[in-house]
Amino acid sequence: MHRTVPSLPLAPSVKVKLINAGFQVASDLTDMRPLQLCKEAGISQEEAVEVLQMLRDDGQPHQQRAATESLTALDLLHQEQALGSIVTFCSALDDTLGGGVSMGKTTEICGAPGVGKTQLCMQLAVDVQIPVCFGGLGGKALYIDTEGSFLVQRVADMAEAAVQHCTLLAEDTEQKQALEELTVEKILSNLFLVRCHDYVELLAEVYLLPDFLSKHPEVRLIVIDSIAFPFRHDFEDLSQRTRLLNGLAQQLIQLATQHSIAVVLTNQMTTRVSNGQSKLVPALGESWGHAATQRLILRWEGLRRLASLYKSPSQMEATVQYQITVQGFRDASDEHRPTPDTSAVSSQLGNHSKRPRTEDLS
Amino acid sequence: MDWEQLDLNPRIIGAVKKANFRTAKEILCVSGPDLQRLTRLSKTDVQRLHCAVAAAVRKSKLVTALQLIRGECPVLEAGHRLSFACPILDGLMRGGLPLRGITELAGESAAGKTQFCLQLCLSVQYPQENGGLNSGAVYICTEDSFPIKRLRQLIAQQPQLRPDLPPALIRSLRFSDNIYIEHAADLEALQACVSQRVPVLLKRGLVRLLVVDSVAALFRSEFQADEAIERSRHLLAFSNTLHRLSHEYGAPVVCVNQVTDVVDGPNPGRCDYGLVGSKVLPALGIAWANQVMVRLMLRRLAGQVQSASRSSAPRKLEVVFAPHLPRASCLCGVWEEGVRGIPDDHSDLQPQGSS
Repeated sequence: MHRTVPSLPLAPSVKVKLINAGFQVASDLTDMRPLQLCKEAGISQEEAVEVLQMLRDDGQPHQQRAATESLTALDLLHQEQALGSIVTFCSALDDTLGGGVSMGKTTEICGAPGVGKTQLCMQLAVDVQIPVCFGGLGGKALYIDTEGSFLVQRVADMAEAAVQHCTLLAEDTEQKQALEELTVEKILSNLFLVRCHDYVELLAEVYLLPDFLSKHPEVRLIVIDSIAFPFRHDFEDLSQRTRLLNGLAQQLIQLATQHSIAVVLTNQMTTRVSNGQSKLVPALGESWGHAATQRLILRWEGLRRLASLYKSPSQMEATVQYQITVQGFRDASDEHRPTPDTSAVSSQLGNHSKRPRTEDLS
Repeated sequence: MDWEQLDLNPRIIGAVKKANFRTAKEILCVSGPDLQRLTRLSKTDVQRLHCAVAAAVRKSKLVTALQLIRGECPVLEAGHRLSFACPILDGLMRGGLPLRGITELAGESAAGKTQFCLQLCLSVQYPQENGGLNSGAVYICTEDSFPIKRLRQLIAQQPQLRPDLPPALIRSLRFSDNIYIEHAADLEALQACVSQRVPVLLKRGLVRLLVVDSVAALFRSEFQADEAIERSRHLLAFSNTLHRLSHEYGAPVVCVNQVTDVVDGPNPGRCDYGLVGSKVLPALGIAWANQVMVRLMLRRLAGQVQSASRSSAPRKLEVVFAPHLPRASCLCGVWEEGVRGIPDDHSDLQPQGSS
């Protein structure tokens, strides 16, 4: 293939050195040995090896590479449908989400303190482990706790309730067999916990995630509870915070799509004052709103707890009611159908796309 | 940070030193392409650098929830709680106060919050098998002066409060020696106390309970209504210090909070935490509420409740939110020996006005 050196996917400094040494076209480099290239171009031996490696991979027939790289939309649809989703055990919310929390996407859960974000995260960490024959994913979960609110006693309660739920559902032999292995101990042993005390530890943890996921390929869910907590204090420079958060979001989306896992983040709420009126909005600023693929907002309305799907590429906006019981995150006993989004949600949360820019108290 | 100890090609370490990076934090806070530009390393080199620095920062091993519940990681999950010294109150809290995290106790004045705190200061001194932590307590007063007479009364009455414990054990504990009292008149003094003096006591193992009575007083008095952002910043800094201390030393932190009146109806700009029909809400807003792990509210009810020919105004202790507790409440009374829960089968009482 006649590719020019500047068009090759190499670091700019390497390309400059190659061009200065007289290599203009890719074919000039193909029959060089690493040491030769090293001396002639003045690049390090490692860089020379990398250049030649890249050229060798490049040498494959063009069509074959194209076939492995591009996919049709139909292929993507099949892939997405085959991925499955993690149920939340609240059927109304599952319907709204299109089956449950989707794989391959990042989902953000925002809510005021005590409304149930940590409960939902713990529930998902248990539900991802439900065996495939029961409609689950049979995977493991990684829980990154930054607030210290992960109390294992509660997870054990939820695991117990999940096992009982499956016991009631078990019909055929395959399910009964899977049920024998599904115990509270097994569920707890498949839930990995990491505690991060500040944002540097959280950043470090996310850099180590690709390694972790390749060592533990059965992990299908990563929960970060919460991503707001370490980033909301001692940040003098808010633009640095925005930069770090954007970087984190990019890394997490990349992990979600590459490994087909679900990434769930929790966010706090803050008060925003505009036109003399105050309302609760998700924390971490405006640009963070674009970070997650899906956004779920949990809130109180009197005695009821409501979950609103606020942003999703594939599902309609809707609000459902849920409750937190001893067994965990469940449907509210009286309401089972989601109401399509009407003015109720927009008046509560404001029309975000047309909101004037104001100071927010985060 | 000593770059030599990282498991990296010396060329990468040299580039890092040349680019003047000194701490792991600086490396982790710079993105891949930026690092490539600053150190002139290739993309794979920068990836390896990030991974090596991250591994050096995250020294702790991976833990599973099963290991936690079996008590194999006392650092992350102690497996026991700080008891209230009353079985009914402990039952409400599933054992007592969690050892890590901030517990808030909010209520109107004269509800009995200080009584709870004093009782906890005594309970923490018992050995672990009796629900304590075998250590002392730090009590930071920001409002009134410390109620020393009441403390002496409680100490004298400990055998009545804890009849299940051997009197010899109670006699052997020198309660007043192990309670460190601090007075903080303004925010600066409070922050200095919490960041300098309290860590010394915690490090030496002299205390394992921190009580701040109250958190609201100084924050509400030193900031005007329009200085909300400023107040928020100080509040976050203060709670961050408490949070760090609590997690590092496994010491429960109890913060007493005041309440504000609810004058209008439900307001979308204000979170009610599901406390419908309540005339009061915990003070300091959502900025503080986000830092609290367990929120309890104490209300004083009308009427009287009797116990062995003594009477007390009943109180309702309610769990507003906690990660491991359902929303429940129990009644309790304040007696000479301390706070004791009232079992459910007692007299039915009318709440005082609100609730």
